[in-house]
Amino acid sequence: MSFDSFGFFLFFPVVAIAYFMIAHRYRWIWLLTASYFFYMCFNPWYAVFLGATTLTTYAAGLLIGKADESRDARTKKMWVVLCLIVNLGILLVFKYLNLFSELYAQTASLFGFAVPAVRFDLLLPVGISFYTFQAVSYLIDVYRGDTKPERHLGKYALFVSFFLQIVSGPIGKSKDMLREFDEVHTFDDTRAKKGLLLMLWGYFQKMVVADRLGLLVDTVYGSPQKYRGPASLLATVFYAFQIYCDFSGYSDIAIGAGQVLGFRLPTNFNRPYFSRSVKEFWRRWHISLSSWFRDYLYIPLGGNRCSAFRHCLNILIVFAVCGFWHGASVTFFVWGLLHGVYQVIGLLTGGFRSRVRARLGIRTGSAPFRVLQAAATFLLVAFAWIFFRAGTLADASTVIGGLFRFDPSALRDGSLFRLGLDPAEMAVGVLGILAVLAVDLLGRKKNLIRSVLNFRTPARWLFYITAVMVLVIFGIYGSQYNAQQFIYSQF
Amino acid sequence: MSKKFLMKGLLFALILTVILAALSPVFVYKTQHRGKLEEGLYLSDDRYDVVFMGSSHMNGGMDPNVIWNQQGIASFNYATGGQPIDATYYLLKDVLKKHKNPVVVLDVYYLGMTDEYGARGFVSNALDNMRFSPTKLEAIWNCTPWEDRLLYLLPVLKYHFRWSSLQAKDFNFDNASVYYTKGFVAGTDRYGKENSAWKQTENRVGIPEKSLEYLQKIIDLSKEENCQLIFVNMPCDYSEPDNQEGWVDDTEALFNTVADLADSEQIPFLDFYDMADEIGFDFSNDMNNAGHLNLWGAYKVSSYFGNYLAENYDLPDHRSDGAYAQWNEDYKRSQAASVS
Repeated sequence: MSFDSFGFFLFFPVVAIAYFMIAHRYRWIWLLTASYFFYMCFNPWYAVFLGATTLTTYAAGLLIGKADESRDARTKKMWVVLCLIVNLGILLVFKYLNLFSELYAQTASLFGFAVPAVRFDLLLPVGISFYTFQAVSYLIDVYRGDTKPERHLGKYALFVSFFLQIVSGPIGKSKDMLREFDEVHTFDDTRAKKGLLLMLWGYFQKMVVADRLGLLVDTVYGSPQKYRGPASLLATVFYAFQIYCDFSGYSDIAIGAGQVLGFRLPTNFNRPYFSRSVKEFWRRWHISLSSWFRDYLYIPLGGNRCSAFRHCLNILIVFAVCGFWHGASVTFFVWGLLHGVYQVIGLLTGGFRSRVRARLGIRTGSAPFRVLQAAATFLLVAFAWIFFRAGTLADASTVIGGLFRFDPSALRDGSLFRLGLDPAEMAVGVLGILAVLAVDLLGRKKNLIRSVLNFRTPARWLFYITAVMVLVIFGIYGSQYNAQQFIYSQF
Repeated sequence: MSKKFLMKGLLFALILTVILAALSPVFVYKTQHRGKLEEGLYLSDDRYDVVFMGSSHMNGGMDPNVIWNQQGIASFNYATGGQPIDATYYLLKDVLKKHKNPVVVLDVYYLGMTDEYGARGFVSNALDNMRFSPTKLEAIWNCTPWEDRLLYLLPVLKYHFRWSSLQAKDFNFDNASVYYTKGFVAGTDRYGKENSAWKQTENRVGIPEKSLEYLQKIIDLSKEENCQLIFVNMPCDYSEPDNQEGWVDDTEALFNTVADLADSEQIPFLDFYDMADEIGFDFSNDMNNAGHLNLWGAYKVSSYFGNYLAENYDLPDHRSDGAYAQWNEDYKRSQAASVS
């Protein structure tokens, strides 16, 4: 069941209404049932994988806690390692086995051995990377003593399977989320309105902007060799906004729905395309995943408290792993590595750039300079997205090649409007992008949701109705459009 | 959850539903199907003594104008492309709200459908052009899968993508502009091939469960409303439906079963392909394609059937009735646009 399906529009109100009608001590049962129902709507077999991860990490948590009480560091380590092997092993086998098989065959062929790549037809549960990381974070937190082992299997199972997070996050921290399941949530009108408005904004980003831009992006990436110049450029820029609006939209729907119920899910995006460096971009993009990698990989590797060489290596390792986390393909690996390389270059040239700025008398705080930095960062990020979107490295290089084959005739002959978006649809797509940027910009200094709630009642209702009508009329859904699944639910 | 919040939520949903319901007619395709159903079901004051119900085979096979000109019988063709038998039943219910005791002529071709629900586009042809009523609600409930029901209730959700291609006619569609056809539309191609699939058979196959259920409902409704029912089947090359998923494997054997049922219910069943010699029907020249009659074929079948009605049913000749004065003009217009 996807957030943008009719099923969810029925499911969520039922869950929310019943949640507040049920006594607090039984609410976890309701949410757990709803979460498994939600997840099993994708495929009932997925529950087996989810159950396995839940039970193994739950048991390991208790065993680690017990070993901790008896100060048995070796046993404690053994359980954490064993459990990590089991859970990351499940992830590796089901998500990456085919990739490993292909890489093995290709490597063998380099040495003159003809080994055919074996393809395994394995079930890949939706959101496996998300809930595995959430469960693993709990395990490591327990091991580190940052959180206590959860004894209540039901509540722990809910922490791993919570329907608002399981498919695409935000990846929650055990110490926050487990406590939230114990909190008594009473219904709050204002909080619910805020949550619903955030959901509405999430749906706008997904249905009006992301999926509309996706129509053009799919055309170009479907046959990249056919397109060049403005078409390739447009697809590159549109994809940067498609993936942002798709994932940010998803996160806003999840966070907003959580707010209605009384949960505070972690923020996942903070105006990423206004970042002035790639490093800053990663503090603003998919924040829950970036924090995970920082806490459970980057810092354990030594972070930046080591030699410059090791620091750079740590960055490259983290981003290469981050790339692979997103998908079992070399293209994701290159995307991740490229972000690592950007940051290493940024790190190594930091002093030089400062000196150049000082010599040229450029004020780093000036508005034009800040805009220039944001634009440069956007270009780097958008360029990297090419690898993220392309099916193969060959397709990515074709799109990149197309960027440098300028074809001015495309600006005059109307061919840009034959890529899946006619002029009117294109106009809505561009206006959607501008709306998203405007909300990001205005949201820096003003709480826009609170501003809407401060409207007088008729104006507020007019706003609500207009907003829903915009979704209904301009949203991409139904049989005429290929409404796209949330991009991040594949990971 | 506070009651006040819930009530506000319900009020919001209600306002939204009203707006979407008001917008829906603008977004529905303005096709011949829409014009004829609006006119034939709700707008026209004409009274029909014979109504034709069914799929595209009937839509392009029976010309009320020809029957009018030759026999003076007032009839109307309510058939729409791909109309499953369940949708036919609900359309007939709406027809009978306005027209009392007409002879109901039912195209039985779609009894062969084995899928529970018809294709969305085809079902939409019928249901989207019915006005809101308990019958329409019942039709949506029974003729469409659950996940589609909201789309039929508020068609703007189905056709919202048309926002950029709406034209003036979407806002002020003149339903009356197609009324002169009396619901009939046929192609002008000549198929040019003989029927490849037809072979005499004594075999029987069961009528698919849902088709049988709705056929029985139509029979019962006709009895309740005191309507005489006639089954008809238009000429067709069954090689396509026989090999199609969602359709019985032996259509000819299905019609043997239908004939048995018609016999037991004492309902006349006219299988026009079996009457080709009597009608003077030539498959190669009188078919538009493998499944549909062309204008010339429809003319022959309509003439034959008009005679059949005149000979076997006590139907008034309205040609000298002032209330039907426009029908002579409509005939001329329709023929000028077709067979001439």
